[in-house]
Amino acid sequence: MDDGQLDATFAALSDATRRAILAKLAHGEATVNELAQPFDMSLPAISKHLKVLERAGLISRGRNGQFRPCRLEADGLDVATDWIEHNRQIWTERFDKLSAHLRDLQKTPSTKGTPS
Amino acid sequence: MTATTNADDLDEVTIVRVFAAPRELVFACMTDPTHLTHFWGPVGVSTPIENITVDLRVGGVFETVMVNDESGETYPSKGVYTEITPPSVLAWEEPSGMANRSEFIDLGDGRTEVRIHQTNVPAMYRSPEAQAGMKSSLDRFATYLATQTS
Repeated sequence: MDDGQLDATFAALSDATRRAILAKLAHGEATVNELAQPFDMSLPAISKHLKVLERAGLISRGRNGQFRPCRLEADGLDVATDWIEHNRQIWTERFDKLSAHLRDLQKTPSTKGTPS
Repeated sequence: MTATTNADDLDEVTIVRVFAAPRELVFACMTDPTHLTHFWGPVGVSTPIENITVDLRVGGVFETVMVNDESGETYPSKGVYTEITPPSVLAWEEPSGMANRSEFIDLGDGRTEVRIHQTNVPAMYRSPEAQAGMKSSLDRFATYLATQTS
């Protein structure tokens, strides 16, 4: 995994406005104007956020026409979902071990001596 | 279980597991180093009892240093308890600001459901330490996945 890409992705995801932009783009392409509407922010401010997201590989922008619609790039999100999956994996393995430990703790002495 | 690529889901994580044991015992396991040492490390990783600090009071420290069985690499983690209500709620916050809150639910048939709710998850990404740790975690995870699929 490319460390620079990872840094850029995490930095991009650390901002609530940018996460909200991604959430909106999950429903489909949108122009800068459409993205600016719900956020009470100036177009330059939104554009700045979009640049960060674009650099992080989380979105791409159309090259044609003045509106340059933004689109979610799911691959960029993989870094975040990978972490979340990894975190889930740790807890799954941890809880598998806890289940086994709880089984051991609850073994009654009478079953230990039972001939098989 | 499928991975979702939904930006709405990146803020919070919920992990649920049912254990065949009474609530008091499950809660004790999550708060007592003599129990934690048996299960805190995932597969291939141990947590020796001397590497576990539990100061079980609000504001007290919950600290662990997990050790990779093969390489000896260590994975320290630290939290501060924010809520302790035996045997039903246990919560701590990590230095990054990510919060872990576990609810222990008595299912009434001798089983206990544990629901871990992690919030402010992206805060994990802000601290350089967490990023460094995560990079090596992701690398390890990639290695692990490679062994699973080869």
